[in-house]
Amino acid sequence: MPSISTFFGLETTLRALLANQAALDTTGHNISNANTEGYTRQQAVLTASDSLQVTDGTRQATIASLGTGVQIQSYQRIRDQFLDLQYRAQNMVLGQQTATADSLDNVQTALAEPGDNGISNLLTQFWKAWGDVANDPKPGSASRTALVEQAKTLTTSIQGLYSRLTQASSDAQGQYNSLIASPNGEVAQDAQELANLNQAIKKAVASGDTPNDLMDRRDLILDKLSGLGQVSITDLGNGSLNVGFGDAASPLVADTTVNWPQAINNSGATPPTSAGGKLGALYDLFKSGGTIETLQTQLNAVAKDLADKVNALHNPGGSGTNFFSYTSGSEASTIAVNVNAAGVRTGTAASAEENDIARAIANLAGGTTDNAYSSFVTGIGSMVQNAQRQQASSQALVDSVTSQRASTSGVSMDEEMTNMIKFQRAYQAAARAMSTMDDMLDIVINRTGRVGL
Amino acid sequence: MTTRITNAMMSRTVLSDIQDVAAKLSETQKKLASGKQINKPSDDPYATSRALALSGSLAQIQQYERNVNEATSWTAATNTALSSINDVAQRARTLLVQAGNDTYDQTSRSAIADEIDQLVDTMKGDANAQVAGTYVLSGTKSDTAPYTVNGADTYNGNAGAVYRQIGPGVAVQINTIGSQVLGSGVSGDGGLIGVLRDISQHLRGGTTADANALRTTDLQNLDSSMDTLTSAIAVVGATSNRLTTAASRLSELEGSTTSLLSDTQDADMAQTMIDFSTQQSVYQSALAAGSRIVQSSLLDFLS
Repeated sequence: MPSISTFFGLETTLRALLANQAALDTTGHNISNANTEGYTRQQAVLTASDSLQVTDGTRQATIASLGTGVQIQSYQRIRDQFLDLQYRAQNMVLGQQTATADSLDNVQTALAEPGDNGISNLLTQFWKAWGDVANDPKPGSASRTALVEQAKTLTTSIQGLYSRLTQASSDAQGQYNSLIASPNGEVAQDAQELANLNQAIKKAVASGDTPNDLMDRRDLILDKLSGLGQVSITDLGNGSLNVGFGDAASPLVADTTVNWPQAINNSGATPPTSAGGKLGALYDLFKSGGTIETLQTQLNAVAKDLADKVNALHNPGGSGTNFFSYTSGSEASTIAVNVNAAGVRTGTAASAEENDIARAIANLAGGTTDNAYSSFVTGIGSMVQNAQRQQASSQALVDSVTSQRASTSGVSMDEEMTNMIKFQRAYQAAARAMSTMDDMLDIVINRTGRVGL
Repeated sequence: MTTRITNAMMSRTVLSDIQDVAAKLSETQKKLASGKQINKPSDDPYATSRALALSGSLAQIQQYERNVNEATSWTAATNTALSSINDVAQRARTLLVQAGNDTYDQTSRSAIADEIDQLVDTMKGDANAQVAGTYVLSGTKSDTAPYTVNGADTYNGNAGAVYRQIGPGVAVQINTIGSQVLGSGVSGDGGLIGVLRDISQHLRGGTTADANALRTTDLQNLDSSMDTLTSAIAVVGATSNRLTTAASRLSELEGSTTSLLSDTQDADMAQTMIDFSTQQSVYQSALAAGSRIVQSSLLDFLS
């Protein structure tokens, strides 16, 4: 029977003390970071330490393995990479729909429909003013002045709406430009931080360390970036990542290098590719042929229809004075009233009570112009409704993934408290075992050979 | 595997649930405050387009009603003018029948002729009837008086028809042309003025032929002119009936369009109020439950 060190038991209990203390430290770390954004709970993975091979003195063969206690194998980050992918995919859609819904909601508010100040009502009032002129078409009648004023209000409102659309477009562009600005834009700063973290993580991994907290920070930045545009990740195997962004040709972050600025939307491609996320949505709003430009084209068509229909009746043959003037191609921004009260033509013949023209124009009410404007409004309403619905559904998905993540990676106080008690008790027990060993040694050292003293 | 419930998860869920209820509450509150079902086109794009179309037609109906009112005051003024002219014509006829009697000597006939001339001026005055500064019997030259009182008998208006739009595609002629009834003071044009001027000439003439004319052609001509006048009055009456019918039809239409519009865009107050109080109690219970869920922890029970 080979001998085992006298102090073997002390070593075993010491390992237990150290391991449980480390586990308690991890519990403390978890509790401290319970409210830290992006923090992933950590776990000290305990394993039994390598056993002592007890050999037979004569045959030199292993006859037993003596347990030597416990050791910390690693500190594990409890995280599901699949949930990260889901979160980032949904967060991208959420960013996109939120930006679209917010911007179009502003446009929709500018319409002031349905309401007294909306262009729809102003059109109605304009047709009614022609009806009043038909009832009292005499030169110098107050109805003529009222008509011209009503027409001015209408044209001013159309011009105002057009410039609100232009404003919405330039707001979107301004926001887009400030996000992609280099080196102070959000994308550039995130990319720089990702590159720095890649560097630090790679270094730690090379020296055999697991930099959990640095990895949490990197994942958090990737989460944020996914709201701005599509994020794709390639693991380089050494702790470092390549991060692709939007439709960019080369990775935004390649290991420790940042490639920015570069083009992230390609509207020339078939089908057009988009950066996705907030950047993709903003770009789709302000780009040439984008959502806002389409709306402006529709508004131009409404203004042109209004002016052409009224002019054709007011100035048949085209040799007289047009009621509305406009510049071709930018109808909504240039439409204006071209006549004064005396110049309003109410009838084909010159007599005071002639009202055939006024009646014909009043009869345009409820016609193509009104319908075109109404479908313009409905179109914007549908777009906003659609964007808000998609926003709500992607929000629900993001919430659900966030809950699943919180369920997996979040810190549960109850669990940490339980762990604390568990490790504390284990620590106490190990200490008790150590003092028992000590008592044994006391007997060996102080009492042996003292019989009869 | 049972779901791990963590503190962050609980507070997030509680918070987002409370926010959901609060958002609904604010939506309902907006409906209550505005009384409208649709506050933005995105609330219901289809109903928005319907509401826009309906309020457009409502405004148009109201405009037609206004046109009918205008037309009615025009026909009323025309009717009054023509009726007065008719009264004057009746008086002239009585005088003519009296004067045709040969017991009347020339002095008396001349006096009657003077009165007839006066009656012509009265007629012209009646024919110059106005509605808000507009001459109703001048055709479309409504800024010109049709006749000059104490002046030439010529008709200064024209024969233009004045129309009012009383419905989609429905325009009604509302004026009576003065010259069709009164003529231009030319003998033989069939107008009342011409006939009366002939009569007064014959009254002053003094010859047997004149006296015969008073009893025969003049009386016939006057009767025929008065027939024209009567039928003109009948036309005005018919137009006025048509306007009355149109007015009641438009007001029915206005009522039904208003209620359609209200159905489309107005909030059902009773329903909204019930929704509001339901949501309010849900909100309060969510808050109460949330505050208790978030507070409790194992820490409370460890010594």
